[in-house]
Amino acid sequence: MDYKDYINWDRMPTTWCPGCAIGTVFKQTAFALAEMALPLEGMTVVSGIGCSGRAAGYFNVDSVHAAHGRALPVAEGIKRANPRLKVIVFSGDGDLVGIGGNHLLHAARRDVDLAVICINNSIYGMTGGQTAPTTPTGVKTLTSPHGTPYAPLNIQGIITSNRRHWFARTSTLHVVHLQKVVREAVEWPGFAFIEVMAFCIENYGRRIGFKSGHEMLTQLKKDYKLKAGPEGLLQGHELGVVKNDGQAS
Amino acid sequence: MKSLVMGNDAVACGALKAGMTFFAAYPITPASEIMHALAEREGEIAFVHAEDEIASIHMAIGASLAGRKAMTSTSGPGMSLKQEGIGLAHMMEVPLVVVNVQRVGPSTGMPTLPAQGDILQAAHGSHGDYVPIVLYPSSVEECFRFTIEAFNAAEESRSPVILLLDGYVAHLQETVDLDTVTVELKPRTLLPLGEGRRHFTGLLAKDGVPKTKDTGYYREWYARIKAKILDTASRYNFHDYRRNPAADTLLISYGITHRVMTPLAGAYSLFKPVRMYPVLEDELRAAAAEHRKIVVVEMNDGQYRGEVQKVLKRDVLGISILGGTISLKEIREHLRGL
Repeated sequence: MDYKDYINWDRMPTTWCPGCAIGTVFKQTAFALAEMALPLEGMTVVSGIGCSGRAAGYFNVDSVHAAHGRALPVAEGIKRANPRLKVIVFSGDGDLVGIGGNHLLHAARRDVDLAVICINNSIYGMTGGQTAPTTPTGVKTLTSPHGTPYAPLNIQGIITSNRRHWFARTSTLHVVHLQKVVREAVEWPGFAFIEVMAFCIENYGRRIGFKSGHEMLTQLKKDYKLKAGPEGLLQGHELGVVKNDGQAS
Repeated sequence: MKSLVMGNDAVACGALKAGMTFFAAYPITPASEIMHALAEREGEIAFVHAEDEIASIHMAIGASLAGRKAMTSTSGPGMSLKQEGIGLAHMMEVPLVVVNVQRVGPSTGMPTLPAQGDILQAAHGSHGDYVPIVLYPSSVEECFRFTIEAFNAAEESRSPVILLLDGYVAHLQETVDLDTVTVELKPRTLLPLGEGRRHFTGLLAKDGVPKTKDTGYYREWYARIKAKILDTASRYNFHDYRRNPAADTLLISYGITHRVMTPLAGAYSLFKPVRMYPVLEDELRAAAAEHRKIVVVEMNDGQYRGEVQKVLKRDVLGISILGGTISLKEIREHLRGL
């Protein structure tokens, strides 16, 4: 299979802005699916609302673009109704960990067999640039004009608080790693959550001093490093996989 | 075989009879018995005790798209939360059954005394224009029968159908023989996920492609959806009309209120709508034409009365037995005062 087989070309070009990071994640996901040679029948992609939420319709498979925050329960309903289906959730941080946060807690707790790809761009982009639960402390947005006083949500902490878990952090710059973890997440028998560090130039970057998407990508390179050792949680700006199959004591 | 059955249990049995194999809900009195009964069947059916009401309806939507007949059940406070999913299911044309066992509201209200206060919410609870099919049983046998019919109507209309109960009917125990109730089942109408290249979205879309700036298409789409649901509803025009030739007053009531009022059949004509929405226009007009006075008796502040008045375009009197308790004595007193 070729990655192009997984893309619904009738829907191109996408709605995403020039310089947006989501397209990279979308394409690397298509690469990963092609690498696994997953048949187009027998899989489905579910998204919520937001820029990333538009991705479901861009895949060349049956897909669902659910209500805001509800990608996970819709996906769980699908998976429980037909456990043979490969169900991939592709959505943003505002959708999955903001408005859909309660569903995230419980889908992870129930260890539903889903591969969740969460594009974390630190902002509510589609609605114009409001503070997200992932916005770093001190950043000024439309709804935090004096800088948000809160610390961003620790998604890794939420996922790994379950005895059995699979969590990865990767970035839109580290495309080889991104593709690798997408594949691993799809193959993991249980709830697998990927936090993809991304960015939004139009409704976030420009307001905090970046001139282009490329500059934001360069910043990712400065900030994020692949984790060296295999054990333990990801520290600070490390990228990698943290997993526990629930068997180890 | 005859046995003593509770309304909520009859809903669970009806759902299983209809071929429902996916159920998700969140506990709430007075609806929880439906959930308890179906939890016992986990394995035969997929059962999820979800984290909240919102999750449970969206799980049911996902399961329906993936090929299963699906249901969720709740009471008023949960029904308010489910409105988001009801709108999504209308937009994506997903067959589904949503049970609302009504209790006194707004908000937590009087937990958990019965009421009939969610009639208008059943029709207009989610934002935007949509046309729902709403059925309201008034006996244990009807809970069973109309749950099955709700699944049939959902499949035929490819929309979420609402089954309204009140706390009294839901907890009513009656001796019934459910085996004697025969309803022909409608088959699934939706190709399951994983077998096509379709895109289901809450956006206005044409063949899976969003059409969010096309007013002309929106109007065309709405007309099609409305015609489809009205057409289905015409085959589900359930009601019960007991004409009393000596009576010049027609009493309209539904659910437990109708059950309480049956002894009045000697002095009045009685009309019981089961299909609450779309409102039974022809049937109401025909019955009303034979009477001088029309009175709607209900456990709310005149919600269905307004709908009847809109259809009949004449004065309709109302007796509001606001939620909590209801008695024939109280209704008789109101009737004397009219």
